[in-house]
Amino acid sequence: MMFYINKTNCISPQQTFGDIDIEQLHASVDNKLKVLEPPYPAFTANAIRRMSKSTRMGCGAALPLLADSTQPDGIIIGTQVSGMEENGKFLNQIIEYDEDMLTPGNFVQGTPNTISSQIALISNNKNYNITHVHRGLAFENAVIDTAMLLNESPQSTYLLGGVDEICANNHTLDTLADWFKKEDCANNDLYKSNTNGSLSGEGAAMFYVSNNKTNALAQLKAITTIHNTDVDVVKEHIRNFLLQNLPQGEKIDLLLSGENGDKRALHYYTFCEQLLDSGTPVARFKHLCGEYPTASSFALWLACNFVSGQATVPEHMLKKAAKVSALKNILIYNTHKTAQHSCMLVSIP
Amino acid sequence: MDRILVTGMGVISAIGNSVDENHIALVNGKTGIIKGGGNFPSRYAGILPFAEVLMSTADLRARLHVTEPGVTRTTLMALHAFNEAIANAGLTDAQLTADDTALVGATTVGGMCLTDELYANTHGDHENIEYVGSYDYASVNLFIQSHYKMTGVVNTMNTACSSSANAIMYGCRLIKNGLARRVIVGGTDSLAKFTVNGFNALRILSDEACTPFDENRKGLNLGEGAAFLVLEKEADAGDKKVYAAVSGYGNANDAYHPSSLSPGGDGPYLAMKSALSNANLTPADIDFINAHGTGTENNDEVESRAMLNLFGALPNFASTKGFTGHTLGAASAIEAVYSILNIDRQELYPNLNFKQPITGIGVQPVVAYKPAKINHVMSNSFGFGGNCTSLIFSKA
Repeated sequence: MMFYINKTNCISPQQTFGDIDIEQLHASVDNKLKVLEPPYPAFTANAIRRMSKSTRMGCGAALPLLADSTQPDGIIIGTQVSGMEENGKFLNQIIEYDEDMLTPGNFVQGTPNTISSQIALISNNKNYNITHVHRGLAFENAVIDTAMLLNESPQSTYLLGGVDEICANNHTLDTLADWFKKEDCANNDLYKSNTNGSLSGEGAAMFYVSNNKTNALAQLKAITTIHNTDVDVVKEHIRNFLLQNLPQGEKIDLLLSGENGDKRALHYYTFCEQLLDSGTPVARFKHLCGEYPTASSFALWLACNFVSGQATVPEHMLKKAAKVSALKNILIYNTHKTAQHSCMLVSIP
Repeated sequence: MDRILVTGMGVISAIGNSVDENHIALVNGKTGIIKGGGNFPSRYAGILPFAEVLMSTADLRARLHVTEPGVTRTTLMALHAFNEAIANAGLTDAQLTADDTALVGATTVGGMCLTDELYANTHGDHENIEYVGSYDYASVNLFIQSHYKMTGVVNTMNTACSSSANAIMYGCRLIKNGLARRVIVGGTDSLAKFTVNGFNALRILSDEACTPFDENRKGLNLGEGAAFLVLEKEADAGDKKVYAAVSGYGNANDAYHPSSLSPGGDGPYLAMKSALSNANLTPADIDFINAHGTGTENNDEVESRAMLNLFGALPNFASTKGFTGHTLGAASAIEAVYSILNIDRQELYPNLNFKQPITGIGVQPVVAYKPAKINHVMSNSFGFGGNCTSLIFSKA
């Protein structure tokens, strides 16, 4: 099962929305990579005021894709806890006002299906609508759902997205759980770091997808997910994934690696690199977007731009000097918190 | 294509800790909605009625032999129902760990059930951090996955009150698309200060036991629980006990308002219609509808209108929220179990507390237990964000 990506949009901590410029790296601030939010001409001031940040950037990235397209037959979003900032505000109300005289707005905006449902509401789309929340594989499950939908209904089109936001609560909880660095670390030094944790990130990447190859940017050729911490199991799984899905005689021309400066995750990425021909260029992306559960959607956006030639791989992404040319097959490998892993194979259409 | 059959079920709710206990309560019309169970801290516990699982979190943990730290009540209830379902289906360890066995679970509160702990951890308590890794929705299924060393597809869904209907639908689609051979699908939610205050702030919690589809309904009661189904392909079911087939599903969005349904009920109508078409059935084939029927002003009126628009004359229908309260992310899975019992036992359970039909609509649910010939049951679930899903179960 696979599909074509016909259009894509991304709001991220880098200049990825509108005029794309990923050569110039925007710096992290206080160990966080926050999105550069564009103006949102499609929303009224009142609508924006009520939206959570994740809903704002999710709708902001999605709606331009829908503007001059056929109404998609479904909206499929992956997110770990979008709306958690709103949840946090409601949590604070509960405790600080001792469960009395609360306003429900934050509670309603805090449910993670707000993104998919707001896109549906604004674009008056009454079709299939779903939200996958499976932490570090939330976006991958959304991809699998979309691939199944296109297998079931080959003429259809779908809107697929991955969104997560940095908010005070998830940043604090994940820092306590040792997943974000406690010492100061700048994003351009991320891979030199040899401690636990990464930098906190966020973003929204949206894809308009179908079985229509005409004018497609890229083809999502295959995807797999793994739940395991055993590096040998993960390595074997990736090896099989490549054997089964990489056409004979072809090779991986670029590995998009989710390496994130967390010393506990490094060996998974190293083993993955060793599975490929020596000399295969490796490009890392977490210093651009930070670590978040649906960061693989940012990687898929990058892969679409690289295989379609809309962007070239900037020097600062390359792990070691390499010549990147004639990109046909890109492997995205990512692990979230070392227990969830995924591979996506992205090719020219 | 093989039919998809239900070969195992597990449920824990305010009316019982197993399928058998739930069945006895349904037959006897015995509600689980009470004031003052006291297993969750909130100023409203004991004041407003709730449908609580009357087992403390510590007891649940002991009963399930869970000794790892960081496992929430939401997860424990899920594990309880999951264990019953896999035992009931006779799944072997080899099947559980096989890469063609998938787990799809839903929850809307997940680790947010620990409202006070989360507040403390995000406001300076950096010592008591047992639960900081469990705050999200996926924590539930990631625990079950790792507990049973599952290697197939694992997924978590949250579309508010229709979450576990979507988990069931997704599990069926995994089988049909060849991504799994068998799936364990369901949902869980525990009562929490967080959700209680959310619904209370929306002013849709009733101060009495809920009265779905009644003219004088005052709102919903929240409940807690979990349920899982084991779904297998017909060819794999062998001589196993088969409870029913999942014959159709439909998902649609109301695209109207974040927390209420459109007056015309477009989302509910489209979800039901698409489930019928997916099942290749006509409205006249449906013998019974397990309605969403929360007891709120908005839902029951809109759902009635949407059913009337689609069915003309309504088949027998009832809401079981008067037994279990609204269990949110568990609701569709629990009601799937009840819908399957309708088929397996050939009987209908009452819509509790109904007295007077809604003015201008006039539809009347089943109000007493009765044996009935049941081939096809539709089960409705509608959630915040306009996320509507209908499932159809059929006699196998």
